[in-house]
Amino acid sequence: MTNLHEADRFRHEALLYANADQFVAGTVPFIRDGIRAGEPVLVVESVAKIEILREALGGDGEAVMFADMAGVGANPARIIPAWQDFVSRHEGATRLRGIGEPIWKERTPDELIECQRHESLLNVAFGRGRPWWLLCPYDTEKLDAAVIDEARRSHEFVTEGSHAEPSDLFRGLEASGAPFDAPLPQRGTALGRTTFGPNDLASVRSLVAHHADAAGLGAMRAAELVVAINEVATNSIKHGGGRGTLTVWQETSALICEISDRGRFAKALADRERPSESVAAPRGLWLANQLCDLVQIRTIPDGTVVRLHMRRSATQGLN
Amino acid sequence: MYADSHLVVTRTQEPVGLCFAGEIDSSNARAVAEFLSNGFAGVEDIHLDMSGLSFCDVSGIRSLIEAAESRQQGRLMLHGLPYLLQRVMAATGWANLPHLVVVS
Repeated sequence: MTNLHEADRFRHEALLYANADQFVAGTVPFIRDGIRAGEPVLVVESVAKIEILREALGGDGEAVMFADMAGVGANPARIIPAWQDFVSRHEGATRLRGIGEPIWKERTPDELIECQRHESLLNVAFGRGRPWWLLCPYDTEKLDAAVIDEARRSHEFVTEGSHAEPSDLFRGLEASGAPFDAPLPQRGTALGRTTFGPNDLASVRSLVAHHADAAGLGAMRAAELVVAINEVATNSIKHGGGRGTLTVWQETSALICEISDRGRFAKALADRERPSESVAAPRGLWLANQLCDLVQIRTIPDGTVVRLHMRRSATQGLN
Repeated sequence: MYADSHLVVTRTQEPVGLCFAGEIDSSNARAVAEFLSNGFAGVEDIHLDMSGLSFCDVSGIRSLIEAAESRQQGRLMLHGLPYLLQRVMAATGWANLPHLVVVS
């Protein structure tokens, strides 16, 4: 399926499948080739797909690591660190293989956008690093055509049937890490909007705690949201012009807190690279991604917008 | 004793250390670290009662670590650390530090 030149660097490939048979036909030989070559193989899929693969692989399944995408990728910004852990855990391996399916039909519109951002950022995270091969299955029966089109832009290679080829639409490494400036979707009437300055962190916290309580988040998740919003607001004070604006929306499925300020994010992976060991290294956005269900960061003409989402019930659909 | 509008820190004798009540964020983290760095000459481990700490942000934890690392000897022992703070320290990669010990 590939030549040596392509195998000597990161290969990000979309696998388009329309049914379970095509899924198995596209993934099982890929896994078996990896096992035969002595490559570590990690599959991050739904529980249902992991079952299908285990059955199809038989004894070969023993050599494969599996992880539940519903856990690892509930917030898609946590997926790149999981792959980075996989790659760095196998320092001695010349090559590695992974399968990751972050996008399924039940993803909310906000999650879908962030998953698509994640797929692009994979190129930034690994494009200049060690050689490994990541295959990302896309269900063409269940997903919109626009989602498949975006997969052709975020993946350098696309496999359809048994045919793999370079994607004509691939946006390339540079554009994959470009500032994400597509505006976030408009939301309904906000519960509240308030500006804050250097002396207002405690009021930002108590305001968000109040809304989290009213939305029924539960004590622990409310406290986690307060920790996250405090870090984002602290960034506004320290790096975003000394002040910011907090807006809160309560929707049927989630509580959403947004902070906008005049700061700029310099690094595409700023919110999802595991903090370095240095005590001084920034940790606020990383922490927000560990605590919140979704974090959306956008660069707008005069600053930055960060939206934190907390689902109002801890359930989530996964196909 | 240290006090500002949302934090009170008092000295304790048995064990030797400090008792925190209130909130630490970027507005007082540095003051907390300075208070911690003074008045414990000759003391090995300093015991911090964190059970009354209702909030502590990343800069607060960072200040504790820097204070712990700047001492010539001994450790900072954290007692009664609220669960959320334990979770934050684990998530930020600060769960297993030689000079800042979470006592369970």
